[in-house]
Amino acid sequence: MRIALALAVLIGLTAPAIGTFIVQRRLALLGDGIGHIALTGIGLGLLTGSSPVLGALAISVLGAAAIEVLRARSRTGGDVALALLFYGGLAGGVLLTSRAGGGAGLQSYLFGSITSVTERDLYLVAVLAAGVLAVVVLFGRELFLLCQDEELARASGLPARALSLLIAVTAAVTVVIAMRAIGLLLVSALMVVPVAAAQQLTRGFRDTMLAAMGIGVLSAVSGLLGAFQYDLPPGPSIVLLALAVYLTLVLWRVIGEPALRRRTLPSGPDEATADAEVRG
Amino acid sequence: MTAVKPDIAVPPFEMTGGRVRLDGREVLRGIDLQVAPGEVLAVMGANGSGKSTLVRALLGLVPLAAGRTLIYGSPPGRFRDWHRIGYVPQRLQVGGGVPATVREVVASGRIARRPRLRLLPSAADRAAVQRALEKVGLAGVADRPAQHLSGGQQQRVLIARALAGEPDTFVMDEPTAGVDAASQAALADTLRDLVRQGRTVVLVMHELGPLEPLISRAVVLEGGRIVHDGAPPQPEGECARPGHRHLHPHAHRDRPTIWDTA
Repeated sequence: MRIALALAVLIGLTAPAIGTFIVQRRLALLGDGIGHIALTGIGLGLLTGSSPVLGALAISVLGAAAIEVLRARSRTGGDVALALLFYGGLAGGVLLTSRAGGGAGLQSYLFGSITSVTERDLYLVAVLAAGVLAVVVLFGRELFLLCQDEELARASGLPARALSLLIAVTAAVTVVIAMRAIGLLLVSALMVVPVAAAQQLTRGFRDTMLAAMGIGVLSAVSGLLGAFQYDLPPGPSIVLLALAVYLTLVLWRVIGEPALRRRTLPSGPDEATADAEVRG
Repeated sequence: MTAVKPDIAVPPFEMTGGRVRLDGREVLRGIDLQVAPGEVLAVMGANGSGKSTLVRALLGLVPLAAGRTLIYGSPPGRFRDWHRIGYVPQRLQVGGGVPATVREVVASGRIARRPRLRLLPSAADRAAVQRALEKVGLAGVADRPAQHLSGGQQQRVLIARALAGEPDTFVMDEPTAGVDAASQAALADTLRDLVRQGRTVVLVMHELGPLEPLISRAVVLEGGRIVHDGAPPQPEGECARPGHRHLHPHAHRDRPTIWDTA
């Protein structure tokens, strides 16, 4: 249980961190695409008897790089490139796994089995998580500019292709980290839903990322505890909790907050000047 | 901002025999252009004449099919002093799926100046960002999401982003397109300051409008070639009327498309 909680915290922090960049680039389904590709890696790992996690890592990284190259180079749009890799990955994974005779094994990767995580797995995940967070801290500013305006990034001397690849690879690593707990089909959710939820509250990029990480940890830990309490599968519980947070915040922003504001005094002088400046 | 030290020998941009092919179509057909330091150059022409492509090729953002281009004497791939260049792309909006405050967007203009390992902005960074915000009159809304501002204000955000980097040379692509009169006037003021400080400015424009007195040289493109290079052309007849359809006196008349403004 302690291991599962530690894993939940690591995932809750890491997935939304990279997720913010992915949503910024309007590639919200990237995590899902990589997840499908990872299935082939798992199949390979199971078939060859080596670690499925490392297999997934290797193939996911390659797949993420492939998506990035297709997006940037070919006439195939980003979404079509993703779809191609979705189906290829899924088909490859099921095929290879059936050869390895492990239908049940694939199940646990599709939907997660956080309870089967060993201490060794946890150390690997901790290292990967530290790596992802290091990328965000060291390259966050460049990645922000890249995601905002790729041409300007190049005209500022940034290696745009390398940075795009970095985002894709970091996403791949995050998918592998998260798949143990959440399962591959829902990994994308933890990258994207906390960001969507955070956006209801925040105004800026950095605040959005920090809020998303907080919501991610909150959803992961509560979802896990709730799942154990009520004997539910942990992966889906975590994701549904994150969605519940999102819905609550949307309702607050759309209904609750304006209603509250209408009951308070009208805007003071500072807000009026700022408003005038915006209109001016 | 401190006045720029004149770099007497090296022109900011120099293109010889530049040809660009996009999607199989020749967009630039042999361009020879040298921009001198301190010049205020207007790149003009009808829609589709290749003016945006030209400045993007000057910046190395678009590869040349033939010829070569230099930025301060180096090919773009080998150029290292990107902090000397400030680019304001042709954008209607500040982009992205996640909100960003005006301050965050403007601060990203400092990237070319920051050493690799510095994780937090320095006092100089913060001061430059604040000055840029004040210059364009957006200091009061610095902590609002940029996407919530009007089109003209978002254009000002992009200009502030370029100003924050304190470059020697500015390249602006259609800075007045679709922008309200107040923002156009603000732009004219900003440009006047830059010119006074001796900085180089390259502007892609449809028509000169309020910026005309600042322009020292105009280059007109038609069909991917330069057809005029010299004093800014005077608008004549129909063209002198503000708000006319944007057909340049030196360009042949195109059939109007949905992209032409009324």
